[in-house]
Amino acid sequence: MQGNDVAFAQLIRQHQNTMLYLARSIVGDVFAEDVVQEAWVSIYANIGKFERRSSLKTWVYRIVSNLATTRRRKESRKSSLDELDGEVSGSYLDASNFKNDGHWKTPPRSWQTESPDQLLEEQQLKHCIHKTLDKLPDLQKSVFLLREIEQIAFEDICELLNISAANVRVLLHRARLELMQMIDRYQETGSC
Amino acid sequence: MLKCKQVARLASDYLDNSDESINWKVRMHLLMCSHCRRFVRHLKITRIVTRSVLSETPDTDVDDVLRRIKEAAKPQ
Repeated sequence: MQGNDVAFAQLIRQHQNTMLYLARSIVGDVFAEDVVQEAWVSIYANIGKFERRSSLKTWVYRIVSNLATTRRRKESRKSSLDELDGEVSGSYLDASNFKNDGHWKTPPRSWQTESPDQLLEEQQLKHCIHKTLDKLPDLQKSVFLLREIEQIAFEDICELLNISAANVRVLLHRARLELMQMIDRYQETGSC
Repeated sequence: MLKCKQVARLASDYLDNSDESINWKVRMHLLMCSHCRRFVRHLKITRIVTRSVLSETPDTDVDDVLRRIKEAAKPQ
């Protein structure tokens, strides 16, 4: 591999998965891989023109977002915001967890270990985190990865996914709660 | 004073420091409520642990992706 290829391979390694999640949340499973492939070709051809007005990863994700949105229009698929309606039953925010006066009916359980370092030594927990992330609705997963892992600014996420800041916050909170609930189950049972 | 249900809903905004007036109200509640302190603490631990696990670089067949990009980028 030549020097440029090595650098480009590093870019692929860093962003391929988030790009796929992002494309899936906009255009759905069937077309996501095509969109990401198309985005890489465009990035490869245009990286010399990158003007550093934003970070490189925001530029990369914007290309994916634009291509996925164009593809969605072409395929007449509607982005699903259904997951923003109502509260998922069984989640922490489920009304049945609270009394009428708004206080906990079923308070959060205590955890055997609250040390992140100790938790990170558990291979099974790592597997459970990946599994839980995979099961999140596509839009929730994209918001979570863009914000929590890639640390993209809220306003950029709104633009990339074409949703409001309030929606970004709701989706981010739900994703975190889903993962927290899995860790809670793991502490109790040793499995996801 | 906020109720536990509201704190559970606002916990991410509180951790993200998104609004000073929300932060103040949540902080006041947390002073009085050990259940919500535990809830927020667990959410914080969840963030640290998931961030760390998911930041590990995933396996991607980079050579294959690069080969396909170059093929597609070739002039027809």
